Amino acid sequence: MQEYFLLFIGAIFVNNIVLAQYLGNCPFIGTSKESGVAIGMGAAVVFVATMAAAITWLVQAYILVPLGLGFLQTLAFILVIASLVQFVEMFLKKMVPPLYKSLGIFLPLITTNCAVMGIALICQREELDLKTTILFSFASGLGFMLALVLLAGIRERLAVRRLPIAMRGTPIGLVMAGLMSLAFFAFKGMI
Amino acid sequence: MKEMIKMVVVLSVLCAISGSGLAALKQVTEPIIEEQVLTYVQAPAIESVLTGYDNDPIKDRKKFEYDGQVVMVFPAIKDGKLIGVALETASKGFGGQINVMVGFDVAAGALSGIGITTMKETPGIGSRVAESGFTAQFQGHPLKMVELKSKGGDIDAIAGATISSTGTVNAVQNALAIYNSLKDQFAQSWS
Amino acid sequence: MSKLWKEFSKGLWKELPPFKLVLGLCPVLAVTNTANNGLGMGAAVIFVLTLSNLLVSLVRKAIPAKVRIACFIVIAASLVVAVELLMQAFSYPLYQQLGIFVPLIVVNCIILGRAEAFASKNPPLLSIADGLGMGIGFTMSLTFLGSLREILGQGTWFGMHVTWDGFEPFGFMVQAPGAFVSLGVLLALMNFMENVRRKRRGLKAVEGPSHDCGSCGACGSSSKC
Repeated sequence: MQEYFLLFIGAIFVNNIVLAQYLGNCPFIGTSKESGVAIGMGAAVVFVATMAAAITWLVQAYILVPLGLGFLQTLAFILVIASLVQFVEMFLKKMVPPLYKSLGIFLPLITTNCAVMGIALICQREELDLKTTILFSFASGLGFMLALVLLAGIRERLAVRRLPIAMRGTPIGLVMAGLMSLAFFAFKGMI
Repeated sequence: MKEMIKMVVVLSVLCAISGSGLAALKQVTEPIIEEQVLTYVQAPAIESVLTGYDNDPIKDRKKFEYDGQVVMVFPAIKDGKLIGVALETASKGFGGQINVMVGFDVAAGALSGIGITTMKETPGIGSRVAESGFTAQFQGHPLKMVELKSKGGDIDAIAGATISSTGTVNAVQNALAIYNSLKDQFAQSWS
Repeated sequence: MSKLWKEFSKGLWKELPPFKLVLGLCPVLAVTNTANNGLGMGAAVIFVLTLSNLLVSLVRKAIPAKVRIACFIVIAASLVVAVELLMQAFSYPLYQQLGIFVPLIVVNCIILGRAEAFASKNPPLLSIADGLGMGIGFTMSLTFLGSLREILGQGTWFGMHVTWDGFEPFGFMVQAPGAFVSLGVLLALMNFMENVRRKRRGLKAVEGPSHDCGSCGACGSSSKC
């Protein structure tokens, strides 16, 4: 039990998917200007990353490995993720319209979010079992959401400050992300 | 409907072409990749467990069958005489599989050393099985009673890392069993 | 000929991928801890980008509009698998260094972005020029950022010792925070230079290019775009 708890905390804080593993930076910088948007994007990533990691695990274990097609992993994973996103979008639109309303616009952006595919690949490289994969991907998604929402909070405040014109927008966003990443370093001593 | 058929046809043709192209590339690169993995992952361990040879253990490697499994064995040859062999075995540790390269001194009938090739043990604790303080205990060890002190042998476990220590010892015992049952074949195939 | 040159050279400065278009940030941050890794990653991207542009351009008339993104993904992913195999076969240490960022080339916005924005509308030769130019621009940027971080963070350049004795490296630079901060400062510098140029022409200073995820073919497989 303690093992799972450590994995969970570790994935959120210590090995934060954005701030320590450099994954999912495009949406991290791109959708962190308003906290509302950040929460929506974060929730969509948690949802899709968990499902994608679980499904790609099954694909790897029951289709690719038995057929000796392990080297096609990249091709198979991206196709699974792309169709999963498409499917989730259709499903939400039909069955859960309120959820679709809040997450829908972020879903198409997720196919090329490397955090989703990155999490699935890390689970494979670390040879996690299915249960651990689901837990790890869920925690990593939460870590992404946490970093995104925090950065959005900072950038909302910075937006009303007078900054040198060249620093405005993406550059200051990146510098802030760097400072957050430095702060998250402190969690390294925890585990 | 016609458009639908075209879509399916185009996609399947594309997948078929890329699939067969990649399979061909895989065929061509597979032996080269195997060589590369041996050079960069196993070679350092082989060098640390075998001494005094004048051949290339990786080039002279041979495959043997043991208990229905294929075992890759690396010989150390001096002046045309087999002086030692190294083989890699695995056992379960704390964080995952521990792969151990075990070297045997043929003439002295003893272990010539062990080296950890890959493992996922906890950094700073279980990972210490790879340090020389632990592995040196196996150097020159006779080919029997390779066991932790707690189980009546003479190997000191690493404090706080009993599972990793046991895993490593188990891997060495596996290697020992393989060596004992195949050593006559080794002597024949490299004489 | 001049048109070919124009498509090639735009990637080298005017639309320099990671800095001016702010695309494909993950590898830019992740693998630029040394100059060598940056260069290796760039080479892999040149290979995938040029070939995917060529292939997309060749089949652009045969692909039905509705599944075009899916086709682009299949083409890009196949090329990435090819790169993975070749890299393992001929440059194994680099493959180990770059880790999961090799397979992740497939979700790099630049690949799908160029396929959608350029190669699917232009003939093969122009598409090759575009891909090569963008790829080389990307490689230059990665190598530059990698050099900067390696020199400041380790005091070496391509593994060679280049700093004076007694130089205390900033360990911070090769870690994640250094990646974010140095890229941010570099972008700000580029914006600053652009603004100085505009001022000389009597134009008003502007904010740098904003990072917009939607612009990069990130609409992915969505049928809407």
